Amino acid sequence: MRKEDSVKLISAEGFEFVIHKDAAMVSQIISNMLTSPGSFAETEHREVTFPEISTTILEKICQYFYWSLQYANGKETEFPIEPELTLELIMAANYLDT
Amino acid sequence: MEIQTESRLVRLCIEAACESRESVEKWRKQRRTLDSMPSHLADALLRRLFLRRLLFPSLLEAFKRSVEAVDLKGASNVDAEWMAYLGAFRYLRSLNLADCHRINNSALWSLVGMTSLKEVDISRCAKVTDAGIRHLVSISTLQILRISETGVTADGIKLLSSLANLIVLDLGDLPVTDTALSSLQALTKLEYLDLWGSNISNKGATVLQKFPKLKFLSLAWTGVSRLPNLSSLECLNLSNCTINSVLQGNGNEAHLTKLICSGATFTNEAEAFLYFDTRFLSFLDVSNSSFNGFYFLHNLKAMEYLDLSGSMIGDDSIEAVASIGANLRNLNLSKTRVTSSGVAILVGHVPKLENLSLSHTPVDDLSVSCIGMMPSLKLVDLNNTIINGFIHQDGAEPNLISSLTALHSLKDLESLNLECPKMNDAAVDHLSSFQELRLLSLRSPSLTDISLHHLSSLPKIKNLRIRDAVLTDSGLFSFRPPATLEILDLRGCWLLTEDAILSFHKRHPLIEVRHEHVASTSDQAACHRQPRTSQILSQVNQKQEKLPVSQYFIDQRLKYTREELLALQFQSSSLGSPFDKSHARPQMQSG
Repeated sequence: MRKEDSVKLISAEGFEFVIHKDAAMVSQIISNMLTSPGSFAETEHREVTFPEISTTILEKICQYFYWSLQYANGKETEFPIEPELTLELIMAANYLDT
Repeated sequence: MEIQTESRLVRLCIEAACESRESVEKWRKQRRTLDSMPSHLADALLRRLFLRRLLFPSLLEAFKRSVEAVDLKGASNVDAEWMAYLGAFRYLRSLNLADCHRINNSALWSLVGMTSLKEVDISRCAKVTDAGIRHLVSISTLQILRISETGVTADGIKLLSSLANLIVLDLGDLPVTDTALSSLQALTKLEYLDLWGSNISNKGATVLQKFPKLKFLSLAWTGVSRLPNLSSLECLNLSNCTINSVLQGNGNEAHLTKLICSGATFTNEAEAFLYFDTRFLSFLDVSNSSFNGFYFLHNLKAMEYLDLSGSMIGDDSIEAVASIGANLRNLNLSKTRVTSSGVAILVGHVPKLENLSLSHTPVDDLSVSCIGMMPSLKLVDLNNTIINGFIHQDGAEPNLISSLTALHSLKDLESLNLECPKMNDAAVDHLSSFQELRLLSLRSPSLTDISLHHLSSLPKIKNLRIRDAVLTDSGLFSFRPPATLEILDLRGCWLLTEDAILSFHKRHPLIEVRHEHVASTSDQAACHRQPRTSQILSQVNQKQEKLPVSQYFIDQRLKYTREELLALQFQSSSLGSPFDKSHARPQMQSG
């Protein structure tokens, strides 16, 4: 993965997830942040911090991004979600519009 | 209630959270997260738990600081214990308890003093009486209250006058007297008032003028025959009333857009509609009424939905319909005397017509060629006519021409009902090349395996009905259903054996087969797959078929089904507006 193709997502605890920008684009919010004109810090440095999203949840979100890409390409697998994560994940997903 | 806008991951999460009792236990202790959840997400989660039958009283407590809307409609287990928890919901805005038969007066006590509750529906909770109303009137924020078909009396209704913020009030089938209505005059914000089946008389109806904002009014099944002028009124239901005059009086003329007079008796049509501005009327239902003043139709230039089924209309009055055809989208002429020559008069005058029903009329194959010239048609109902699919051409050499090929010019045709007992295989052959057809309904003892074979080439068909036909096991075995097929209705095909149907079902598990040999378990499976409207449709259909009632009542039910669907359609297009949905309800109950 080339540097210009990657995006860095940072969790509340400061954990960094480097993912492909196509995957990140699954989220409408991240997509807007990365493509909006003007000099948002996010657009320039290709990194977004989520002070409200914990590491566990952000990891799950990143997994979902990749799963979503695969699903769109016709690989119809299940996306497993542990019941104990559901509540926080609902809120994060709602925020990220994904 | 159901929120469709939520994102896919949210949906997946809600499903995972409501997978089983065990999964619920994994998250229900996460109190802080639940409390901070945005209300639309909490509402959706609670709703899903309810639909999955995982909701129980003490689990409700987890939602008391987040949920705003609770819909428990039709739950037979919801009782006072549930209500005790719901009473503690701090931000509860809307509570639907319709058809929850265990709700009684003491259960409603839990709602006393709630501060954000705006909407309550306890329709058909028969145990609720005036004492329950005393509890409800303590909720001064109430804007929408539905208490139809409860045990409330006129005295209880008088108490409602203290709910000064009421905008929508449904008092259907309650013994509302003239004095009780009179005591409600204080409710000046009222825009929607349903009084079907009440004891209101002409004298009481004059009180209605005291509601300056009234837009929707139903007086169906009442003794009101003279309705005074209500200048703010937009939608009026006078079904099954004896109508003398409508909106007669001084002041500004009402801009009525919807008028439902189904099953009404008119003492004098000429006078009945004299008093209001008919230019805005876009919805008129005079089905099964004694309406005979069809010349009056000429003025209704805005008409979009016209139901004349079961009325006295014949070919001589069709011209009046043609003259207002410019905006017409829905025309119901079933169970009338209209013939093919009447249909011919409509050609060229109904450019926007989408739904046309001519079932139970004496129309023949000539009408089909006329229907082919109505370009916007999507749904055509020709059930129980003498159509057989061919036009006899006289001349030197008598000739048979297919009439159904005329329908090929209808590019948008999605639904075709041709349950005509004279149809045969040769006629069906001409149906096999319809590109857009989603639903096709045939019912004739002259149809055989050949028809089934012809229809396997319909590219988009979802719902195929071939009833009362002489289909055989080998015919069904060699039938290659189109990939899009979801429902195959073979009821009345008496030659088919249980084994043949089971083996078809095994080969095509995704297709729901309906036949006397199939237990109704597949209906339940269908309910989960299908969206809500079709679920209701199938439920109502089932009801129709099971109830051994007289012919008259079956006809009534058919009509109201369609009306209710229409009401649903309006509901989804104008979400939040309560004014469109309840015309059909009163008759539904009484039918």
